Amino acid sequence: MPSLALTIAARIIRQLVRDRRTSALIVIVPVVVMTLIGLSFPEEQVLDYIAPALLATLALFFSFLLTGISFLRERSQGTMERLMASSVSRLDVVVGYLFGFFVFALAQTVIILLFTIYVLDVHYSGDLWQIFVFQVVVIAGAVNLGIFISTFARNEFQMVQFIPLILFPQVFLCGVIWPVEQMPEYLQWVARFLPLKYAVDGLRGIMLLGQSLADVSFELVVLVGFTVGTSILAAITLRRGVGG
Amino acid sequence: MANMRSGQTAVDVSQVSFNYGSVKALDRISLEVPSGISFGLLGPNGAGKTTLIRMLVGLLKPKQGSARVLGERPSRKSAHRTGYMPQLHSLYAELTIRQNVDFFAKICRLSDGTERERRVEEVIRLVGLWPRRNDAVVKLSGGMRQRVSLACAIVHSPPLLVLDEPTVGLDPELRATFWEHFAVLNRQGVSIVISSHTMDDAAHCDRLAFIRDGRVIAEGTPEELKRDTGQGTLEDAFLFFVRSREVDRA
Repeated sequence: MPSLALTIAARIIRQLVRDRRTSALIVIVPVVVMTLIGLSFPEEQVLDYIAPALLATLALFFSFLLTGISFLRERSQGTMERLMASSVSRLDVVVGYLFGFFVFALAQTVIILLFTIYVLDVHYSGDLWQIFVFQVVVIAGAVNLGIFISTFARNEFQMVQFIPLILFPQVFLCGVIWPVEQMPEYLQWVARFLPLKYAVDGLRGIMLLGQSLADVSFELVVLVGFTVGTSILAAITLRRGVGG
Repeated sequence: MANMRSGQTAVDVSQVSFNYGSVKALDRISLEVPSGISFGLLGPNGAGKTTLIRMLVGLLKPKQGSARVLGERPSRKSAHRTGYMPQLHSLYAELTIRQNVDFFAKICRLSDGTERERRVEEVIRLVGLWPRRNDAVVKLSGGMRQRVSLACAIVHSPPLLVLDEPTVGLDPELRATFWEHFAVLNRQGVSIVISSHTMDDAAHCDRLAFIRDGRVIAEGTPEELKRDTGQGTLEDAFLFFVRSREVDRA
């Protein structure tokens, strides 16, 4: 990682760690949400089936939310303007923010994953490390999506409006609630363009069918492509609303 | 601080225009800032000062005309030669004073650890906040945040400082302290472009450009501007130029 990107990542980590309330919420909120989900699905088999989709959805949701709001704050308090007026390249900024926020998104994902398996006692077939690696790819895309989308919001209120716009269609169309195959043909087409579909398919493959990362390589490649694509879009739109 | 030879031009703006959609912010504006002086951009809110400032630090590009800073077009490559203090405090509230200044020192490529540490301490002392260096910015008053913001802008010893309304909200004592800092920097050869809408700031500048509706309506030293208009104060001199322009238009 370039040294300036590393400097930015280290600053983000330091900043969030110093904000004790935010740090505490990053840990507590996933635990509370997963506890409620566990209590809502007393039947073991139902929870086993829905767990992979929930893991993917929550990873996307928390990572997108954390990054989107934090990045927007950078813009509204003027620190992004200062960065953009310095010698730092857009790539340094995007990579720096990606790694900085990634650490916290990863922490939340690990909490959710371990809580799901060891506290809610969800059964899974594949390797735990392969589930983890797949989730890492999912959150990398979600972090970049948060950075990209935040460039279109001028304040926190607008950013919050983007959450249902970005997440709800994915939850309804990507096989979280009902199988994609049972939806009308045109909605199945829409689903093919949504990253959560590939996240859900891949995690179900590993957790329910015992597949390996190689077996879900198509889903993995699509998600890596999504991560690269959103990185490029985030870098291109980085200056939106800064200086103007 | 990096010295520049006297007689050089720090900033050269020629026939620059800029608009936000249909709103014209700068209208064929031209000005030259000699190196080593404090140059004030004076005008009411909405006159185009911040747009011009943002152009000088490379955040905006002229739609027409050219802007050159230290002989180059403002860009990422030349950014390390300019220190920028935006209108907002633009600091990381959760971090301490020292962590903020150190972060911007690193961003401005002060890579040598010992030298950076020395410089960070020097500028925090310069703005009088060394005893509070380990306090989070969120705990500081507005005036203290302005001082931290200034420290962040000068930590890499740039030959040019571009300051957007740095004295807004400061009490008279702190404002005087800021101007003492600026005078010290000028003596070290640093050029300063400073925007303001208060005539108290104007009196401290070596040269001034009165800006209104995106145009320079007058330029000169504070004494010249008062003398040429026959007015006793810069405020009256500014109003004189505004009224003269309105009469010309009519």
